[in-house]
Amino acid sequence: MSNTVIRTQGLTKFYGRQRGVVDVNIQVERGEVFGYLGPNGAGKTTTIRLLLDLIRPTRGQASVFQMDTRRRGVAIRRRIGYLPGELALYENLTGAELLRYLGHLHGGVEWRYVAQLAARLECDLSQRIRSHSHGNKQKLGLIQAFMHRPELLILDEPSMGLDPLMQQEFYRLIGEAKAEGRTVFLSSHILPEVERVCDRVGIIREGRIIAVEDLATLKSRALRKLEIHFATSVPKEAFARVAGVRDVAVNNGVLRCTVVGTLDALIKAAAQFQVINVITHEPSLEEIFLTYYGGGESHAA
Amino acid sequence: MLRNVFLKTVRDQSRALLFWGFGLVGLSLYATLFYPTIRDMPELNKLVEGLPEALKVMFLGEMGDFTSPVGYLNTELFFLWMPILFLVFTIGFGSGAIAGEEERGTLDLLLSHPLPRWRVVAEKFSAMVVASLALAFALWVGLAIGVTAVNMDISLGRVAEATLSGSLLGLVFGMVTLALGCATGNRGLSIGGAGALAVAAYILNSFARLTEVLKPYRKLSPFYYHVTSDPLANGLNLGDAGVLMGLIVALLVVALITFQRRDLAV
Repeated sequence: MSNTVIRTQGLTKFYGRQRGVVDVNIQVERGEVFGYLGPNGAGKTTTIRLLLDLIRPTRGQASVFQMDTRRRGVAIRRRIGYLPGELALYENLTGAELLRYLGHLHGGVEWRYVAQLAARLECDLSQRIRSHSHGNKQKLGLIQAFMHRPELLILDEPSMGLDPLMQQEFYRLIGEAKAEGRTVFLSSHILPEVERVCDRVGIIREGRIIAVEDLATLKSRALRKLEIHFATSVPKEAFARVAGVRDVAVNNGVLRCTVVGTLDALIKAAAQFQVINVITHEPSLEEIFLTYYGGGESHAA
Repeated sequence: MLRNVFLKTVRDQSRALLFWGFGLVGLSLYATLFYPTIRDMPELNKLVEGLPEALKVMFLGEMGDFTSPVGYLNTELFFLWMPILFLVFTIGFGSGAIAGEEERGTLDLLLSHPLPRWRVVAEKFSAMVVASLALAFALWVGLAIGVTAVNMDISLGRVAEATLSGSLLGLVFGMVTLALGCATGNRGLSIGGAGALAVAAYILNSFARLTEVLKPYRKLSPFYYHVTSDPLANGLNLGDAGVLMGLIVALLVVALITFQRRDLAV
Protein backbone atom coordinates (compact mmCIF):
# COMPACT_ATOMS: atom_id res chain seq x y z
CA MET A 1 0.00 0.00 0.00
CA SER A 2 1.29 3.39 -0.91
CA ASN A 3 2.03 5.81 1.87
CA THR A 4 1.10 8.89 -0.03
CA VAL A 5 -1.44 10.95 1.88
CA ILE A 6 -1.77 13.98 -0.38
CA ARG A 7 -1.02 14.13 -4.06
CA THR A 8 -1.94 16.89 -6.47
CA GLN A 9 -1.37 16.79 -10.20
CA GLY A 10 -1.50 19.96 -12.23
CA LEU A 11 -3.94 21.34 -9.71
CA THR A 12 -5.18 24.66 -11.02
CA LYS A 13 -7.82 27.06 -9.84
CA PHE A 14 -8.95 30.30 -11.37
CA TYR A 15 -11.68 32.47 -9.86
CA GLY A 16 -13.05 33.87 -13.07
CA ARG A 17 -9.90 35.41 -14.51
CA GLN A 18 -8.25 35.83 -11.15
CA ARG A 19 -5.42 33.45 -10.39
CA GLY A 20 -5.84 31.05 -7.49
CA VAL A 21 -3.18 28.39 -8.00
CA VAL A 22 -1.54 27.13 -11.20
CA ASP A 23 -0.23 23.61 -11.86
CA VAL A 24 0.43 22.69 -8.27
CA ASN A 25 2.14 19.31 -7.93
CA ILE A 26 2.82 18.23 -4.40
CA GLN A 27 3.08 14.93 -2.67
CA VAL A 28 2.95 14.41 1.09
CA GLU A 29 3.81 11.08 2.69
CA ARG A 30 2.36 9.47 5.76
CA GLY A 31 3.88 10.68 9.04
CA GLU A 32 5.34 13.79 7.49
CA VAL A 33 4.96 17.34 8.71
CA PHE A 34 4.74 19.28 5.49
CA GLY A 35 5.03 23.04 5.53
CA TYR A 36 3.31 25.07 2.86
CA LEU A 37 5.15 28.33 2.82
CA GLY A 38 4.27 31.45 0.94
CA PRO A 39 3.32 35.09 1.37
CA ASN A 40 -0.30 36.07 1.86
CA GLY A 41 -2.30 35.73 -1.32
CA ALA A 42 0.09 33.18 -2.83
CA GLY A 43 -2.60 30.50 -3.02
CA LYS A 44 -2.10 28.52 0.18
CA THR A 45 -5.72 28.71 1.29
CA THR A 46 -6.92 27.98 -2.25
CA THR A 47 -4.89 24.76 -2.30
CA ILE A 48 -6.23 23.71 1.09
CA ARG A 49 -9.85 24.40 0.16
CA LEU A 50 -9.38 22.37 -3.01
CA LEU A 51 -8.16 19.43 -0.90
CA LEU A 52 -11.30 19.69 1.24
CA ASP A 53 -13.59 19.92 -1.80
CA LEU A 54 -14.91 23.28 -0.62
CA ILE A 55 -13.98 24.62 -4.05
CA ARG A 56 -13.47 22.74 -7.30
CA PRO A 57 -10.39 22.76 -9.51
CA THR A 58 -10.45 24.51 -12.87
CA ARG A 59 -8.21 21.70 -14.07
CA GLY A 60 -5.90 19.13 -12.60
CA GLN A 61 -6.65 16.70 -9.88
CA ALA A 62 -6.05 16.14 -6.19
CA SER A 63 -6.28 13.04 -4.07
CA VAL A 64 -6.12 12.52 -0.33
CA PHE A 65 -5.58 9.02 1.08
CA GLN A 66 -5.51 7.98 -2.59
CA MET A 67 -9.11 9.05 -3.00
CA ASP A 68 -10.21 11.67 -5.48
CA THR A 69 -11.26 14.84 -3.67
CA ARG A 70 -14.14 15.45 -6.03
CA ARG A 71 -15.69 12.01 -5.69
CA ARG A 72 -14.81 10.83 -2.20
CA GLY A 73 -14.97 14.09 -0.26
CA VAL A 74 -16.99 12.75 2.65
CA ALA A 75 -14.78 9.69 3.15
CA ILE A 76 -11.70 11.91 3.00
CA ARG A 77 -13.01 14.50 5.42
CA ARG A 78 -13.86 11.81 7.94
CA ARG A 79 -10.11 11.34 8.43
CA ILE A 80 -9.10 15.00 8.41
CA GLY A 81 -8.88 17.66 11.07
CA TYR A 82 -9.04 21.13 9.55
CA LEU A 83 -8.28 24.54 10.92
CA PRO A 84 -9.53 27.26 8.53
CA GLY A 85 -7.32 30.25 7.86
CA GLU A 86 -10.16 32.66 8.41
CA LEU A 87 -11.76 30.93 11.32
CA ALA A 88 -15.43 31.74 11.89
CA LEU A 89 -17.23 29.99 14.73
CA TYR A 90 -20.84 29.88 15.93
CA GLU A 91 -20.69 32.92 18.17
CA ASN A 92 -23.90 32.10 20.00
CA LEU A 93 -22.50 28.85 21.40
CA THR A 94 -20.10 28.32 24.25
CA GLY A 95 -16.77 26.67 23.52
CA ALA A 96 -17.99 23.39 24.99
CA GLU A 97 -21.21 23.48 22.94
CA LEU A 98 -19.29 24.17 19.74
CA LEU A 99 -16.93 21.26 20.35
CA ARG A 100 -19.81 18.91 21.19
CA TYR A 101 -21.58 19.88 18.01
CA LEU A 102 -18.53 19.45 15.80
CA GLY A 103 -17.68 16.26 17.68
CA HIS A 104 -21.09 14.83 16.84
CA LEU A 105 -20.55 15.71 13.18
CA HIS A 106 -17.44 13.54 13.38
CA GLY A 107 -19.49 10.75 14.87
CA GLY A 108 -18.52 11.44 18.47
CA VAL A 109 -15.26 12.27 20.21
CA GLU A 110 -13.74 11.24 23.49
CA TRP A 111 -14.58 14.15 25.78
CA ARG A 112 -11.72 13.44 28.16
CA TYR A 113 -9.30 14.13 25.36
CA VAL A 114 -11.12 17.36 24.45
CA ALA A 115 -10.89 18.56 28.03
CA GLN A 116 -7.23 17.64 28.10
CA LEU A 117 -6.54 19.64 24.93
CA ALA A 118 -8.45 22.60 26.35
CA ALA A 119 -6.41 22.46 29.55
CA ARG A 120 -3.14 22.30 27.67
CA LEU A 121 -4.04 25.27 25.52
CA GLU A 122 -5.57 27.08 28.51
CA CYS A 123 -8.86 27.53 26.70
CA ASP A 124 -11.96 28.33 28.74
CA LEU A 125 -14.82 26.29 27.28
CA SER A 126 -17.60 27.72 29.40
CA GLN A 127 -17.67 31.19 27.83
CA ARG A 128 -19.79 32.17 24.88
CA ILE A 129 -17.60 32.36 21.81
CA ARG A 130 -18.89 35.88 21.15
CA SER A 131 -16.95 37.10 24.18
CA HIS A 132 -13.74 35.23 23.29
CA SER A 133 -10.55 37.02 22.28
CA HIS A 134 -9.06 36.23 18.90
CA GLY A 135 -6.46 34.00 20.53
CA ASN A 136 -9.09 32.01 22.35
CA LYS A 137 -11.06 31.44 19.18
CA GLN A 138 -7.91 30.21 17.50
CA LYS A 139 -7.41 27.75 20.36
CA LEU A 140 -10.96 26.44 19.87
CA GLY A 141 -10.14 26.06 16.21
CA LEU A 142 -7.07 24.01 17.08
CA ILE A 143 -8.93 21.83 19.58
CA GLN A 144 -11.65 21.00 17.07
CA ALA A 145 -9.01 20.08 14.50
CA PHE A 146 -7.19 17.74 16.89
CA MET A 147 -10.01 16.36 19.03
CA HIS A 148 -11.02 13.37 16.92
CA ARG A 149 -7.37 12.33 16.45
CA PRO A 150 -7.47 12.57 12.67
CA GLU A 151 -4.95 10.84 10.46
CA LEU A 152 -4.31 14.07 8.59
CA LEU A 153 -4.25 17.55 10.04
CA ILE A 154 -4.68 20.41 7.60
CA LEU A 155 -3.90 23.64 9.37
CA ASP A 156 -4.15 26.99 7.62
CA GLU A 157 -1.95 29.55 9.38
CA PRO A 158 -2.36 27.75 12.70
CA SER A 159 -0.30 29.90 15.01
CA MET A 160 -1.99 33.15 14.05
CA GLY A 161 -3.17 34.97 17.13
CA LEU A 162 -1.53 32.56 19.59
CA ASP A 163 0.75 34.05 22.21
CA PRO A 164 4.33 32.66 22.27
CA LEU A 165 3.67 30.28 25.15
CA MET A 166 0.70 28.74 23.40
CA GLN A 167 2.69 28.51 20.19
CA GLN A 168 5.14 26.27 22.04
CA GLU A 169 2.29 24.09 23.23
CA PHE A 170 0.96 23.97 19.70
CA TYR A 171 4.37 22.87 18.38
CA ARG A 172 4.34 20.12 20.99
CA LEU A 173 0.94 18.97 19.74
CA ILE A 174 2.33 18.80 16.22
CA GLY A 175 5.30 16.81 17.51
CA GLU A 176 3.01 14.35 19.25
CA ALA A 177 0.87 13.91 16.16
CA LYS A 178 3.98 13.17 14.16
CA ALA A 179 5.23 10.73 16.79
CA GLU A 180 1.92 8.87 16.49
CA GLY A 181 2.48 8.54 12.77
CA ARG A 182 -0.09 11.09 11.74
CA THR A 183 0.42 13.51 8.90
CA VAL A 184 0.38 17.29 9.15
CA PHE A 185 -0.07 19.76 6.32
CA LEU A 186 0.53 23.22 7.64
CA SER A 187 0.50 26.52 5.83
CA SER A 188 2.41 29.53 7.01
CA HIS A 189 3.93 32.75 5.84
CA ILE A 190 6.54 32.66 8.60
CA LEU A 191 9.78 30.88 7.72
CA PRO A 192 11.07 30.29 11.28
CA GLU A 193 7.83 28.59 12.22
CA VAL A 194 8.06 26.26 9.26
CA GLU A 195 11.72 25.58 10.02
CA ARG A 196 10.81 24.73 13.52
CA VAL A 197 8.14 22.10 12.95
CA CYS A 198 8.30 20.83 9.40
CA ASP A 199 10.20 17.99 7.76
CA ARG A 200 9.67 19.24 4.26
CA VAL A 201 8.57 22.53 2.84
CA GLY A 202 6.75 23.46 -0.32
CA ILE A 203 7.23 27.06 -1.30
CA ILE A 204 4.45 28.76 -3.20
CA ARG A 205 4.57 32.14 -4.82
CA GLU A 206 1.93 33.82 -6.94
CA GLY A 207 0.00 30.59 -7.29
CA ARG A 208 2.94 28.41 -8.36
CA ILE A 209 5.13 26.01 -6.43
CA ILE A 210 8.66 27.30 -6.84
CA ALA A 211 10.45 24.71 -4.73
CA VAL A 212 9.97 21.74 -2.48
CA GLU A 213 12.88 21.32 -0.09
CA ASP A 214 13.63 19.28 2.94
CA LEU A 215 14.42 21.07 6.10
CA ALA A 216 18.16 20.51 5.97
CA THR A 217 18.43 22.20 2.56
CA LEU A 218 16.25 25.02 3.71
CA LYS A 219 18.35 25.54 6.82
CA SER A 220 21.61 25.47 4.90
CA ARG A 221 20.15 28.28 2.89
CA ALA A 222 19.14 30.20 5.96
CA LEU A 223 19.43 33.87 5.27
CA ARG A 224 19.93 36.29 8.08
CA LYS A 225 20.41 40.00 8.37
CA LEU A 226 22.90 40.68 11.09
CA GLU A 227 23.96 43.74 12.97
CA ILE A 228 27.03 43.60 15.24
CA HIS A 229 27.84 46.49 17.52
CA PHE A 230 31.52 46.81 18.52
CA ALA A 231 33.16 48.83 21.28
CA THR A 232 35.42 50.55 18.78
CA SER A 233 35.29 51.15 15.09
CA VAL A 234 36.28 48.15 13.00
CA PRO A 235 37.78 47.87 9.52
CA LYS A 236 35.44 46.80 6.79
CA GLU A 237 38.15 44.58 5.28
CA ALA A 238 38.03 42.33 8.33
CA PHE A 239 34.60 41.07 7.21
CA ALA A 240 34.42 41.67 3.50
CA ARG A 241 35.84 38.29 2.57
CA VAL A 242 34.39 36.12 5.33
CA ALA A 243 32.67 33.04 3.92
CA GLY A 244 28.91 33.37 3.47
CA VAL A 245 28.86 37.05 4.31
CA ARG A 246 27.58 39.64 1.87
CA ASP A 247 26.27 43.19 1.70
CA VAL A 248 28.87 44.29 4.24
CA ALA A 249 28.58 47.84 5.55
CA VAL A 250 30.51 49.26 8.47
CA ASN A 251 29.60 52.50 10.15
CA ASN A 252 30.88 53.83 13.52
CA GLY A 253 31.67 50.44 14.93
CA VAL A 254 28.42 48.92 13.67
CA LEU A 255 28.61 46.14 11.11
CA ARG A 256 25.60 45.37 8.99
CA CYS A 257 25.61 42.37 6.68
CA THR A 258 23.67 39.45 5.28
CA VAL A 259 24.74 35.92 6.14
CA VAL A 260 23.95 32.83 4.13
CA GLY A 261 24.03 29.49 5.94
CA THR A 262 26.00 29.12 9.14
CA LEU A 263 27.12 32.08 11.23
CA ASP A 264 30.32 30.35 12.32
CA ALA A 265 32.83 32.18 10.12
CA LEU A 266 31.41 35.58 10.89
CA ILE A 267 31.31 35.01 14.64
CA LYS A 268 34.93 33.90 14.58
CA ALA A 269 35.91 36.97 12.60
CA ALA A 270 34.01 39.22 14.97
CA ALA A 271 35.59 37.62 18.06
CA GLN A 272 38.90 39.44 17.47
CA PHE A 273 37.12 42.68 18.39
CA GLN A 274 35.19 43.62 21.48
CA VAL A 275 31.54 42.82 20.74
CA ILE A 276 28.78 44.72 22.56
CA ASN A 277 25.66 43.45 20.89
CA VAL A 278 24.46 41.16 18.12
CA ILE A 279 21.09 41.75 16.49
CA THR A 280 19.64 39.44 13.86
CA HIS A 281 16.66 40.08 11.67
CA GLU A 282 14.65 37.37 9.99
CA PRO A 283 14.54 38.19 6.32
CA SER A 284 11.14 38.50 4.70
CA LEU A 285 9.96 35.73 2.44
CA GLU A 286 10.35 38.07 -0.51
CA GLU A 287 14.04 38.50 0.27
CA ILE A 288 14.51 34.76 0.43
CA PHE A 289 12.71 34.31 -2.85
CA LEU A 290 14.88 36.97 -4.43
CA THR A 291 18.03 35.37 -3.13
CA TYR A 292 17.33 31.76 -3.98
CA TYR A 293 14.59 31.55 -6.48
CA GLY A 294 15.38 34.52 -8.64
CA GLY A 295 12.26 36.26 -7.44
CA GLY A 296 10.28 34.64 -10.20
CA GLU A 297 9.59 36.27 -13.51
CA SER A 298 5.85 36.42 -13.16
CA HIS A 299 5.24 40.01 -12.27
CA ALA A 300 2.34 40.36 -14.61
CA ALA A 301 -0.57 41.16 -12.32
CA MET B 1 -29.77 19.69 20.80
CA LEU B 2 -26.36 19.75 19.15
CA ARG B 3 -26.39 16.23 17.77
CA ASN B 4 -26.78 17.20 14.13
CA VAL B 5 -27.38 20.07 11.74
CA PHE B 6 -31.16 19.72 11.94
CA LEU B 7 -31.33 19.95 15.73
CA LYS B 8 -28.72 22.71 15.87
CA THR B 9 -30.75 24.75 13.36
CA VAL B 10 -33.96 24.29 15.35
CA ARG B 11 -32.06 25.16 18.54
CA ASP B 12 -30.70 28.37 17.00
CA GLN B 13 -34.27 29.37 16.15
CA SER B 14 -35.80 28.31 19.45
CA ARG B 15 -35.99 31.76 20.97
CA ALA B 16 -37.33 33.29 17.77
CA LEU B 17 -39.87 30.49 17.56
CA LEU B 18 -41.03 31.18 21.10
CA PHE B 19 -41.60 34.87 20.39
CA TRP B 20 -43.25 34.18 17.07
CA GLY B 21 -45.45 31.54 18.71
CA PHE B 22 -46.63 33.92 21.41
CA GLY B 23 -47.18 36.63 18.82
CA LEU B 24 -49.30 34.36 16.66
CA VAL B 25 -51.37 33.15 19.62
CA GLY B 26 -51.91 36.78 20.58
CA LEU B 27 -52.85 37.77 17.05
CA SER B 28 -55.35 34.96 16.64
CA LEU B 29 -56.88 35.63 20.05
CA TYR B 30 -57.22 39.30 19.19
CA ALA B 31 -58.86 38.49 15.87
CA THR B 32 -61.34 36.00 17.27
CA LEU B 33 -62.24 37.87 20.44
CA PHE B 34 -63.11 40.86 18.29
CA TYR B 35 -65.52 38.79 16.24
CA PRO B 36 -68.72 39.26 18.34
CA THR B 37 -68.55 43.01 17.74
CA ILE B 38 -68.42 42.46 13.97
CA ARG B 39 -71.12 39.79 14.01
CA ASP B 40 -73.54 42.20 15.60
CA MET B 41 -73.01 44.80 12.91
CA PRO B 42 -74.67 43.41 9.75
CA GLU B 43 -74.52 46.87 8.21
CA LEU B 44 -70.75 46.31 7.91
CA ASN B 45 -71.38 44.08 4.94
CA LYS B 46 -73.04 46.94 3.09
CA LEU B 47 -70.14 49.18 3.94
CA VAL B 48 -67.65 46.65 2.63
CA GLU B 49 -69.70 46.07 -0.51
CA GLY B 50 -69.46 49.76 -1.21
CA LEU B 51 -65.67 49.68 -1.25
CA PRO B 52 -63.89 49.90 -4.61
CA GLU B 53 -63.23 46.50 -6.18
CA ALA B 54 -59.50 47.10 -6.36
CA LEU B 55 -59.32 47.65 -2.64
CA LYS B 56 -61.35 44.56 -1.94
CA VAL B 57 -59.31 42.17 -4.08
CA MET B 58 -56.12 43.64 -2.75
CA PHE B 59 -56.76 43.46 0.96
CA LEU B 60 -59.90 41.52 1.72
CA GLY B 61 -59.79 38.44 -0.47
CA GLU B 62 -62.70 36.57 -1.92
CA MET B 63 -65.06 37.13 0.87
CA GLY B 64 -68.66 36.33 0.85
CA ASP B 65 -70.28 37.39 4.07
CA PHE B 66 -67.86 39.43 6.09
CA THR B 67 -69.85 38.91 9.27
CA SER B 68 -69.92 35.11 8.97
CA PRO B 69 -67.19 33.26 10.90
CA VAL B 70 -65.52 31.96 7.74
CA GLY B 71 -65.71 35.27 5.89
CA TYR B 72 -64.45 37.14 8.90
CA LEU B 73 -61.43 34.89 9.59
CA ASN B 74 -60.49 34.73 5.93
CA THR B 75 -60.52 38.49 5.66
CA GLU B 76 -58.91 39.18 8.99
CA LEU B 77 -56.28 36.47 8.92
CA PHE B 78 -55.92 33.88 6.22
CA PHE B 79 -56.04 36.05 3.13
CA LEU B 80 -53.33 38.57 3.95
CA TRP B 81 -51.94 38.56 7.45
CA MET B 82 -51.07 34.97 7.92
CA PRO B 83 -49.25 34.70 4.56
CA ILE B 84 -47.31 37.91 5.28
CA LEU B 85 -46.21 36.74 8.71
CA PHE B 86 -45.30 33.24 7.56
CA LEU B 87 -43.41 34.60 4.59
CA VAL B 88 -41.40 36.96 6.76
CA PHE B 89 -40.48 34.03 8.96
CA THR B 90 -39.62 31.53 6.23
CA ILE B 91 -37.72 34.05 4.13
CA GLY B 92 -35.65 34.93 7.20
CA PHE B 93 -35.11 31.26 7.92
CA GLY B 94 -34.31 30.34 4.33
CA SER B 95 -31.79 33.14 3.93
CA GLY B 96 -29.94 32.23 7.09
CA ALA B 97 -29.73 28.54 6.33
CA ILE B 98 -26.97 28.41 3.72
CA ALA B 99 -26.18 31.92 2.49
CA GLY B 100 -26.24 33.27 6.05
CA GLU B 101 -23.75 30.69 7.27
CA GLU B 102 -21.65 31.23 4.21
CA GLU B 103 -21.47 34.98 4.74
CA ARG B 104 -20.60 34.55 8.40
CA GLY B 105 -17.90 32.09 7.34
CA THR B 106 -19.07 29.14 9.42
CA LEU B 107 -20.09 27.10 6.38
CA ASP B 108 -16.42 26.45 5.65
CA LEU B 109 -15.94 24.80 9.02
CA LEU B 110 -19.24 22.91 8.80
CA LEU B 111 -18.54 21.43 5.37
CA SER B 112 -15.00 20.48 6.27
CA HIS B 113 -16.68 17.79 8.36
CA PRO B 114 -17.71 14.47 6.87
CA LEU B 115 -21.10 15.72 5.69
CA PRO B 116 -22.28 15.63 2.11
CA ARG B 117 -23.54 19.01 1.01
CA TRP B 118 -26.98 17.68 0.15
CA ARG B 119 -27.42 16.55 3.72
CA VAL B 120 -26.74 19.99 5.14
CA VAL B 121 -29.35 21.47 2.80
CA ALA B 122 -31.81 18.66 3.56
CA GLU B 123 -31.42 19.04 7.32
CA LYS B 124 -31.81 22.81 7.17
CA PHE B 125 -34.87 22.37 4.97
CA SER B 126 -36.37 19.92 7.46
CA ALA B 127 -35.74 22.39 10.26
CA MET B 128 -37.59 25.07 8.29
CA VAL B 129 -40.55 22.75 7.73
CA VAL B 130 -40.72 21.80 11.39
CA ALA B 131 -40.44 25.44 12.49
CA SER B 132 -43.21 26.50 10.10
CA LEU B 133 -45.47 23.72 11.30
CA ALA B 134 -44.77 24.71 14.90
CA LEU B 135 -45.85 28.26 14.10
CA ALA B 136 -48.93 26.98 12.30
CA PHE B 137 -49.74 24.98 15.40
CA ALA B 138 -49.35 28.06 17.61
CA LEU B 139 -51.71 29.97 15.35
CA TRP B 140 -54.19 27.13 15.47
CA VAL B 141 -54.03 26.95 19.28
CA GLY B 142 -54.75 30.68 19.55
CA LEU B 143 -57.65 30.36 17.12
CA ALA B 144 -59.02 27.29 18.88
CA ILE B 145 -59.08 29.12 22.20
CA GLY B 146 -60.63 32.22 20.67
CA VAL B 147 -63.20 30.38 18.57
CA THR B 148 -64.33 28.39 21.59
CA ALA B 149 -64.40 31.46 23.84
CA VAL B 150 -66.67 33.49 21.57
CA ASN B 151 -68.66 30.51 20.31
CA MET B 152 -67.86 30.95 16.63
CA ASP B 153 -69.66 28.48 14.46
CA ILE B 154 -66.60 27.07 12.68
CA SER B 155 -64.89 23.70 12.66
CA LEU B 156 -61.48 23.55 14.31
CA GLY B 157 -60.52 20.94 11.74
CA ARG B 158 -61.17 23.44 8.95
CA VAL B 159 -59.15 26.02 10.86
CA ALA B 160 -56.29 23.56 10.99
CA GLU B 161 -56.55 22.93 7.24
CA ALA B 162 -56.50 26.64 6.43
CA THR B 163 -53.51 27.10 8.72
CA LEU B 164 -51.69 24.25 7.03
CA SER B 165 -52.43 25.73 3.62
CA GLY B 166 -50.99 29.08 4.72
CA SER B 167 -47.84 27.48 6.05
CA LEU B 168 -47.35 25.58 2.78
CA LEU B 169 -47.53 28.92 0.98
CA GLY B 170 -44.94 30.31 3.39
CA LEU B 171 -42.69 27.33 2.78
CA VAL B 172 -42.81 27.87 -0.99
CA PHE B 173 -41.23 31.29 -0.55
CA GLY B 174 -38.94 30.03 2.17
CA MET B 175 -37.68 27.51 -0.37
CA VAL B 176 -37.28 30.21 -3.02
CA THR B 177 -35.03 32.00 -0.54
CA LEU B 178 -33.11 28.87 0.40
CA ALA B 179 -32.63 27.90 -3.25
CA LEU B 180 -31.41 31.39 -4.20
CA GLY B 181 -28.99 31.23 -1.25
CA CYS B 182 -27.79 27.79 -2.30
CA ALA B 183 -27.24 28.91 -5.87
CA THR B 184 -25.53 32.21 -5.14
CA GLY B 185 -24.38 32.28 -1.53
CA ASN B 186 -25.69 35.83 -1.41
CA ARG B 187 -28.01 36.38 1.53
CA GLY B 188 -29.23 39.83 0.52
CA LEU B 189 -30.02 38.64 -2.97
CA SER B 190 -31.95 35.65 -1.68
CA ILE B 191 -34.11 37.82 0.58
CA GLY B 192 -34.63 40.49 -2.07
CA GLY B 193 -35.40 37.98 -4.78
CA ALA B 194 -37.88 35.99 -2.73
CA GLY B 195 -39.51 39.13 -1.33
CA ALA B 196 -39.96 40.67 -4.77
CA LEU B 197 -41.33 37.42 -6.11
CA ALA B 198 -43.80 37.16 -3.23
CA VAL B 199 -45.12 40.69 -3.73
CA ALA B 200 -45.45 40.11 -7.48
CA ALA B 201 -47.23 36.79 -6.90
CA TYR B 202 -49.63 38.39 -4.44
CA ILE B 203 -50.49 41.25 -6.75
CA LEU B 204 -50.88 38.92 -9.71
CA ASN B 205 -53.29 36.71 -7.83
CA SER B 206 -55.33 39.65 -6.54
CA PHE B 207 -55.64 41.71 -9.69
CA ALA B 208 -56.06 38.77 -12.03
CA ARG B 209 -59.60 38.63 -10.69
CA LEU B 210 -60.32 42.08 -12.00
CA THR B 211 -58.38 42.23 -15.24
CA GLU B 212 -59.11 39.90 -18.12
CA VAL B 213 -55.54 40.28 -19.38
CA LEU B 214 -54.04 38.79 -16.22
CA LYS B 215 -56.64 36.12 -15.65
CA PRO B 216 -54.87 33.31 -17.53
CA TYR B 217 -51.70 33.90 -15.54
CA ARG B 218 -53.33 33.71 -12.15
CA LYS B 219 -52.36 30.11 -11.73
CA LEU B 220 -48.71 31.11 -11.89
CA SER B 221 -49.08 32.70 -8.49
CA PRO B 222 -48.60 30.38 -5.51
CA PHE B 223 -51.13 32.54 -3.63
CA TYR B 224 -53.80 31.22 -5.98
CA TYR B 225 -53.43 27.75 -4.48
CA HIS B 226 -53.90 29.00 -0.96
CA VAL B 227 -56.77 31.40 -1.52
CA THR B 228 -59.02 30.14 -4.29
CA SER B 229 -60.21 26.84 -2.92
CA ASP B 230 -60.99 28.55 0.42
CA PRO B 231 -59.72 25.81 2.76
CA LEU B 232 -61.43 27.43 5.75
CA ALA B 233 -64.84 26.85 4.18
CA ASN B 234 -64.21 23.79 2.05
CA GLY B 235 -61.23 22.09 3.65
CA LEU B 236 -57.82 21.61 2.15
CA ASN B 237 -58.03 21.08 -1.60
CA LEU B 238 -55.61 18.25 -2.20
CA GLY B 239 -54.88 19.36 -5.73
CA ASP B 240 -53.98 22.90 -4.66
CA ALA B 241 -52.01 21.76 -1.64
CA GLY B 242 -50.30 19.28 -3.93
CA VAL B 243 -49.20 22.10 -6.25
CA LEU B 244 -47.69 23.98 -3.31
CA MET B 245 -45.91 20.85 -2.09
CA GLY B 246 -44.71 20.12 -5.61
CA LEU B 247 -43.24 23.62 -5.80
CA ILE B 248 -41.50 23.11 -2.48
CA VAL B 249 -39.97 19.83 -3.63
CA ALA B 250 -38.96 21.25 -7.01
CA LEU B 251 -37.23 24.19 -5.33
CA LEU B 252 -35.51 21.81 -2.94
CA VAL B 253 -34.12 19.88 -5.88
CA VAL B 254 -32.88 23.14 -7.44
CA ALA B 255 -31.25 24.06 -4.13
CA LEU B 256 -29.54 20.68 -3.82
CA ILE B 257 -28.21 20.65 -7.37
CA THR B 258 -26.96 24.22 -7.49
CA PHE B 259 -25.32 23.96 -4.08
CA GLN B 260 -23.63 20.68 -4.93
CA ARG B 261 -21.95 22.20 -7.94
CA ARG B 262 -20.52 25.47 -6.89
CA ASP B 263 -17.49 26.79 -5.02
CA LEU B 264 -18.10 27.97 -1.50
CA ALA B 265 -17.09 31.52 -0.69
CA VAL B 266 -14.39 31.93 1.95
